[in-house]
Amino acid sequence: MASASVNVSVEAVQEHKIQEVTLDGQEIYIPPLSMSENLAKLAHKIDFYKDESEDKGKPTSEGEKEAEEEASKAAVQPSLWPWDNIRNKLKAALTEMSVLLDVLNIAKEKRYMLLDHVSQDAPEAKSAIQLMAKKKGLQSAAGVLLAGAERLKKSQQEMGNRPQNEFHIELLKLRQNWRLKKVGKTILGDLSYKSAGSRFWQGGSFEVIKNTNIASGEGDTMASTRSSLEVVIPTELEGSAFVQVEVKTVEGSMNLTSAILRMPHGLGPYPSDAHWQTKLEAAQNVLFCKELFSQLAREAVQLKSFVPYIVVGNQIISNVFPNVQLSIVLCHSTGKKDKKSQHPGKVEHNHVLEHSLHQLLREVHFKSLNMSVPHPVTATIGVTKRRRMAGSEAIGRRELLEMTESETLLEQIIKQTRHAVLRLRTMKVIDAVASKYPDPQICAHWSCLNSSLESNVRVIITSQGYEAMRPTWQSMYLEIGVNDIKVVTRERRRIILSFEEKEIEDLILWQISQHHIAVCQSLARLLSWQYISHSSATGVGEMEDFATASSVLLVSPNSDKAIAVRSGPTTGLHVHMKSDAKDIDAELASILEAKWHNLTGTFKEVDLNRIDGRNFATKLELIMASVTRKR
Amino acid sequence: MGTIDVYPYPVPEEKSGQQVVDTIQKQLELLGAHKSGNFCVDCESYQSNIQTATQQRLLHLFHNSEQPATCFSVLDSGICLVSDLLFEVLVLKLTEKKTGKECYYQQRKGFKVESKGQRYELGDFIVKVGSVILASNFRGILIEVEYCPCVIPSECWNLMKEFMQSFMGNMAENPPAHIKSKMDTIYTPEDTIQQYLEHFNNFRKATSASVPATPNR
Amino acid sequence: MDSTGAMGQVLSSKVAPVVENFLQGSVLDTSKDVLIHRLRGLCDNAENQPEIFHDHEIVFIMQGNPNQQPINFHARHSLMHPDAWHLRYLGVADIGDKNKLTLIRHCVDAGVSSNVVDFLNEMGFKIDFEFIAKGYFFHKGRMKVTVSKLYKILQPGSTDQVEPLSQSHLVELSVVAPRVQEQIGEDMKNFAEQLKPYILYKIELKLDHLQTV
Repeated sequence: MASASVNVSVEAVQEHKIQEVTLDGQEIYIPPLSMSENLAKLAHKIDFYKDESEDKGKPTSEGEKEAEEEASKAAVQPSLWPWDNIRNKLKAALTEMSVLLDVLNIAKEKRYMLLDHVSQDAPEAKSAIQLMAKKKGLQSAAGVLLAGAERLKKSQQEMGNRPQNEFHIELLKLRQNWRLKKVGKTILGDLSYKSAGSRFWQGGSFEVIKNTNIASGEGDTMASTRSSLEVVIPTELEGSAFVQVEVKTVEGSMNLTSAILRMPHGLGPYPSDAHWQTKLEAAQNVLFCKELFSQLAREAVQLKSFVPYIVVGNQIISNVFPNVQLSIVLCHSTGKKDKKSQHPGKVEHNHVLEHSLHQLLREVHFKSLNMSVPHPVTATIGVTKRRRMAGSEAIGRRELLEMTESETLLEQIIKQTRHAVLRLRTMKVIDAVASKYPDPQICAHWSCLNSSLESNVRVIITSQGYEAMRPTWQSMYLEIGVNDIKVVTRERRRIILSFEEKEIEDLILWQISQHHIAVCQSLARLLSWQYISHSSATGVGEMEDFATASSVLLVSPNSDKAIAVRSGPTTGLHVHMKSDAKDIDAELASILEAKWHNLTGTFKEVDLNRIDGRNFATKLELIMASVTRKR
Repeated sequence: MGTIDVYPYPVPEEKSGQQVVDTIQKQLELLGAHKSGNFCVDCESYQSNIQTATQQRLLHLFHNSEQPATCFSVLDSGICLVSDLLFEVLVLKLTEKKTGKECYYQQRKGFKVESKGQRYELGDFIVKVGSVILASNFRGILIEVEYCPCVIPSECWNLMKEFMQSFMGNMAENPPAHIKSKMDTIYTPEDTIQQYLEHFNNFRKATSASVPATPNR
Repeated sequence: MDSTGAMGQVLSSKVAPVVENFLQGSVLDTSKDVLIHRLRGLCDNAENQPEIFHDHEIVFIMQGNPNQQPINFHARHSLMHPDAWHLRYLGVADIGDKNKLTLIRHCVDAGVSSNVVDFLNEMGFKIDFEFIAKGYFFHKGRMKVTVSKLYKILQPGSTDQVEPLSQSHLVELSVVAPRVQEQIGEDMKNFAEQLKPYILYKIELKLDHLQTV
């Protein structure tokens, strides 16, 4: 029955309380209470009476009430000594606790008393009331739900009714496409390519502001077209820009006067009230062009080249081939400029190369972000897989050197330009030759599979009407590279041509002359003429400007006629025919057989122009057919 | 990377090493070879200091200028680890002495060997004439001949033999011992190192037997 | 001895990355997907699927007499590209310095040929423990972020029979740099802040994980 002991720890606050602060700032402290003083003070604070009455509540026994009375009496009495009050209260508490314990014991032991549940009367008309209550509950729940639905509907309607360009909706749309962040009260956005791998120094931050003008001032019709969101783009990114790439043929030295900003008409500044998306896209494009140009300019300055690259203002000039130069110009119009700069001069803007430039820079961006994943993951990051394996696979010096080599943007674009120039030249030359020489047909088959640095063409020379004679086909295969053209002829001879147009033209002319000889040979076989001799490099006759003339000698089936054909790339075709030597006496005793008559005779040139026929092959066939005597 | 054979070249008593090297180089130049830089193969050795291990280990670290990103480590049991240059740093970690602690491997003093000299190219062949230097003393000459287009030694041995005899005489009568055992396998840079290790060991032995400047082959 | 001098020379002459700044944490398997999602957004190449990896690591230990300090080498290879082995020495993380934002330890990385296990054995190393790590790899610039699940190997030598070690994934942020740079620590700290709700403890020191395996 002993009461459990409770540990009460009493501890004074360590710091002194401030009683007052004098005007000169001095603080007057209250001296701390002594231990016993403190205890008394704390004990005073305990209101035992209140605690009892509140905690136990009403269902207390008789004894408690007495205790209450006692306690109240004790409280009224003047205390004899400081602890009297406390003692009384504790005593009362003890009494009460003892009584409570006794009651509990009695109830628990069940020897003297039994406790029973007090039976309460069940409420009548249960179901009706319950139904009512439920109904009421459901009704109120339905009310809440309906009210909520109504509110949602309303807000939805409001959303619908609201103009499309409401600021926050616009902001939401903006946020879906652009990077935004809130700094203080302003909303800043970033339109740079940094997150896509760019390392350009110039930032591309813009500010988003609410357009208050339209909301208040202008009419509804205007408001529907204009956005309530406005973007402020840094001045250096305003306007529109593009990189103009031009391949020019210049006579003699470099032409520096062309470094004038010329803006094509189509690409003018956008109106100041354009939609923010347009503005941002334009600004981003400006930033991209600037990065591209600054990269190229930096490379142009750093690169050592045989003919130095020239960077003048917003133009980079580099020599591609002698007399052909590539100029890359950064065109940036801020829109505030007057229209003077619109130069009437026609600019041959090369869209393909401009596109390649954009592609190259984007590739650089891509590479800076996309590193090959190291396997195992603890291996070094940021190097290629090949480099990572270089050590353990004992890769040789040369391969390692190759790995370190990388081409700059400028070098790459110059290569592409060279190829483009070379391809264009080849195309033009082939077309020009084909239209100039109608006799043998010249077909060029361009391969559809080509790259920006290599393309192929097969040139086939045939004679009209004789295409079925396969041996007469004079085909060659041209592989157009960066600096030169590799040619493989029909007889698998490999020739490397430089960038000069003349070389291709000469080659084709030489091939034409070869084609004529091939036609002669094939026709001879067809008409059973004899093929006596052939020389691909005739040492006699008129000198050719280049290459050599070929010749062939054919004899009719019964050996009385001979045709000699000489075909040169510049001297053209000459057909000579030998007829019987009439001057030799047929009855000469020394001639035992008729065939010996054929030994002599003179060649006479045939005037091809006077022979019918569309081309040389027809004409030759006609000649051969007409001179053949029946056996 | 093709097939490589390494042979020691004798230095006669009356001639200095440099003279012999010059003679070989002159012969190569007469054959039409042209210089293509220098080369160097070096080796450092470490000795194990592990009490628990049953036997002492020797670890040789090789560098070959032909594979500049690689460090070859060969244990005396013959196993060769091909690795990045940084493996050397790992080995140095093992040789590191912390305060009051002992290291696991110790560098062997005066055991650094290297073979360096001119590198020649002649068609598909690469010839390297190296002077072997042990602890900054000239010890002999090693000639390395590489035939680039072929990686299986047996396929090109006769060709190489013929080529080598044109300037080395009958030094190259048989394939090197290391190659002989693996004539039909694919040649790797590791095999070059094994050949060098064999020759370097011979030079070291010769030195310790105090027979100076005569390769024992 | 001059070995430390030679060491310093090697370290200074070659600009080899030798200091690793790292942070570690763990995430319960149930929240892993959320974390992966978040990392995809934070790291480079958000548009790509996260790269997966599957590595096998063997930790070697060299122990001699009590006078010699034990030294650990970590040999790791990917089970997806089994021939690429990688040997790593990791120093003891510098825990005491409260000013540092990340843990910093020395590390030496070297790619090695696939006979490294035999080689280390012959050198006098013993296998301390081994495990399999499987998970996702992200990077943001030079920072590597890996979310990996560690597995015990039930039978030594067979990498197929494994058993997960715990119900959580190990998350590691690591930047290897040539020297200690404040900026790296700051960047990493900022990055780690972004992962706050998901990872239970960040910048907790790493006790040798798996030592008990």
